[in-house]
Amino acid sequence: MASTLRPILLVEDSPKDIELTLAALAKCQLANEIDVVRDGVEALDYLHSRGSFAGRNTGEPAVVLLDLKLPRIDGLEVLEAIKNDPNLRQIPVVMLTSSREERDLVTSYKLGVNAFVVKPVGFQAFLEAIQDIGVFWAILNEPPPHRLSGAPRES
Amino acid sequence: MPADPRPDLTACDREPIHVPGSIQPHGVLFALSADRVVEAASANADLLLGGPAETALGRPIEAVVTGLDPAHLDAVVGPQPFDRAVRLGPVSLNDRTFDALAHRSGDVTILELELLDGPPEPAGPDLRHEPVAALVGRMQLARRTGELFDDVARVILDLSGFDRVLIYRFDETWSGTVLAEARNEALPSYMDLRFPASDIPAQARDLYRRNRVRQIPDAGYRPVPIVSRLDKPIDLSSSVLRSVSPVHVEYMQNMGTAASMSVSILSEGRLWGLISCHNREPKRVSPAVRAQCDLIAQILAMRIAVEDVHGDAADRVSVQAAQARLLSAMAAATDFVTGLQSLPDALLGVARAEGAAIVHEGRVTLVGAAPEPRQVQAIIAWLMAGEEDELFETASLGQVMPGGEAFADLASGVLAVSLSRVHASHILWFRSEVVRTVTWGGNPHKQFEPMGPDTRISPRKSFAAWAETVRGTARPWTPAEIDAARGLRQAVVEIVLKRAEELASLTEDLQRSNRELEAFSYSISHDLRAPFRHIVGYAELLAERYGAGLDDRGRHYLASITESAQTAGKLVDDLLHFSQLGRVQLNPVRIDMDRLVLEIQRSLAFETGQRPIEWRLSPLPPARGDASLVRQVMFNLVANAVKYTRGREPAVIAIRGRREIGEAGAETIYEIEDNGIGFDMTYVDKLFQVFQRLNRAEDFEGTGIGLALVRRIVDRHGGRTMARGEVGKGAIFAFSLPAEPASGGSA
Repeated sequence: MASTLRPILLVEDSPKDIELTLAALAKCQLANEIDVVRDGVEALDYLHSRGSFAGRNTGEPAVVLLDLKLPRIDGLEVLEAIKNDPNLRQIPVVMLTSSREERDLVTSYKLGVNAFVVKPVGFQAFLEAIQDIGVFWAILNEPPPHRLSGAPRES
Repeated sequence: MPADPRPDLTACDREPIHVPGSIQPHGVLFALSADRVVEAASANADLLLGGPAETALGRPIEAVVTGLDPAHLDAVVGPQPFDRAVRLGPVSLNDRTFDALAHRSGDVTILELELLDGPPEPAGPDLRHEPVAALVGRMQLARRTGELFDDVARVILDLSGFDRVLIYRFDETWSGTVLAEARNEALPSYMDLRFPASDIPAQARDLYRRNRVRQIPDAGYRPVPIVSRLDKPIDLSSSVLRSVSPVHVEYMQNMGTAASMSVSILSEGRLWGLISCHNREPKRVSPAVRAQCDLIAQILAMRIAVEDVHGDAADRVSVQAAQARLLSAMAAATDFVTGLQSLPDALLGVARAEGAAIVHEGRVTLVGAAPEPRQVQAIIAWLMAGEEDELFETASLGQVMPGGEAFADLASGVLAVSLSRVHASHILWFRSEVVRTVTWGGNPHKQFEPMGPDTRISPRKSFAAWAETVRGTARPWTPAEIDAARGLRQAVVEIVLKRAEELASLTEDLQRSNRELEAFSYSISHDLRAPFRHIVGYAELLAERYGAGLDDRGRHYLASITESAQTAGKLVDDLLHFSQLGRVQLNPVRIDMDRLVLEIQRSLAFETGQRPIEWRLSPLPPARGDASLVRQVMFNLVANAVKYTRGREPAVIAIRGRREIGEAGAETIYEIEDNGIGFDMTYVDKLFQVFQRLNRAEDFEGTGIGLALVRRIVDRHGGRTMARGEVGKGAIFAFSLPAEPASGGSA
């Protein structure tokens, strides 16, 4: 029996981008919950179930959609924290960014990002990108089994 | 003797000519101690003593020679100069007239009694001073010393009565050239002859410097030995009676002269030349005439020194003018090489050279008649391999540098300054060899005929002119030119240092502004794109959810909002891409252009779709460049061709390539030709500029960056972009890329 669908974590500071991303994800008709946090500190608090997220029992997210530019702790730092933490390392992270800067892309891949999406200007194209990501990571991509059984918060 | 079996007259250099131990017979010599006791006497003193010379030794001079002038005797014990014999005056002894001369040599005073031919010469003004005074007047008026030599030779000839008088000048190698001659028919002309340095050996020249006037009244003389009770031979450097080397006597006999006199011309202490007088028959010249000749020679020497100084000053003025022009040119130019190069005449003028080379950062820049860069590099390599000083000069590179004779035609004379102790940075000046025909008095390389088993040194026998071409030697660099080269070096070093400081601060500024620019473009890429995305996003959401409630005009407005925002967003993207190009690192590889074009054709299939396009593809030579950037170039040009042939039935697009050797070396050129709308050649310069469009936006979509991107990428590869077109007929766009160094060639 599969456990309840794990949520998707969207880390984004712009309310407009949140709204548009949520609209796009809604179009994918995913059953997953979408949790939204507004900066890097909140994202790490969420993942560690601490601070304002202490006692959260929604489980590990199926995928983290991470904006690059964030207040306080930026996206690359969050990515690095996730990939350096043995308990979080296997969570897929997709970088969502306005930046076309090559060095951001290179840095992200060095830090172990799972996908990197430059938000297209056209909404249609964005929709397609989000749909691909959502379907792939939230539905198709099974997390490694040992992590599921070994996750302390799952039991 | 040296190992070389050929005896060299330089062996004369070792002959101790100042202590011959004998005198010539035209006088009597005594060496006196402080109390006028005779320590040595010439053997011919017997004619004054009435007994052998030995009998005089140990006795006071006044006791052995009666009739000496008491004033002379007083003078003899007084202080006397070492460097010249002072004329004390005439004296009559045993019915013969002598001139008494005295000087010091070591611990003794040398008293010489020189035999006079005629009656004693009066001490007062003499008619014979007239021509000398007149000559001095003319010497003051002459503009150039060159005009004076003939005059001087003539006056000396008249004054002394010799058969031939030569004015003879030494060059840097101590070879001598006859500059002027006056003579009667008794002796042949030596005009324009050169005499090798060995003719007047080093210690003879030294003696000539110390003792300005020498005479040999009769080369056939029998030397008169000196009897002495001293333990050392007497130094006769300043003696007027000194016996000369047997080699010199033989030399005179070979010349066919029995008598000679020579007077040194000294300029700033250096032996500049000689006034050399010869007579076919034996001949004696009185001390008074010799003194007049000496006077003339010394006035001439002063005149020469003045002219040397003047000439040197004139040189320096012209050279400094050239240097000043170079300095201002260097100050105005971006770098000193460009500055120097911009005034080739001044650069050559500094050292009055025929060619020059500036070698900086591995690049050789040539000016005027200079050897090839490869040869210049060879000279520098040789210079740097040795103990390199900041300045090097030679008139004959072939003699100092192995292999240097190979480029003697342009670079026999080399003057080089080094600008840096660390890098190979030099300025060199060149002079070609002066292939000059030299008229030698005897072949300088063939001084000796083999004379048998005990070959003795012997001066030349033939004075017939022998022509020699001196190869591989340039006009020597003068002190003024060498100083100018040194001065220019100093100036360049200062300018380079100053530039380096300016450059360092400029680099810092640039780095800062570059960092700012990067930060700016980074922030644009995030912050400017976002609002456009939002506009498009919301407009599309609006159209999707509430579009049904809008009328056609409302939906048209909404569509326009979306389209405009999308265009703006695309513009930002293109612009960022364009600006990133300046920073991106090129990664050059070999690119198969045929495959590249096929791939581009495929990716354009969506656009070309159903359109009738006739592709004319020729095999293309491979390119060398950054694969993704070169693809971008080809893609933009092919996409343009597809775009601007819209409506042509059929569209014809031809892609060609070739390999060429151009000014900048081998390159590959690619051309994309279409039969589309073309363009007006009036605007060809605008084509490749950012945001320049030649068509209305509604006719052909685009941001106006495509061709600017093409040019920027090609520029960064070191290639060129070209375009040709005609309105309504089509266009040809071409770009070139530097070709791979070797191999390659089209498949």
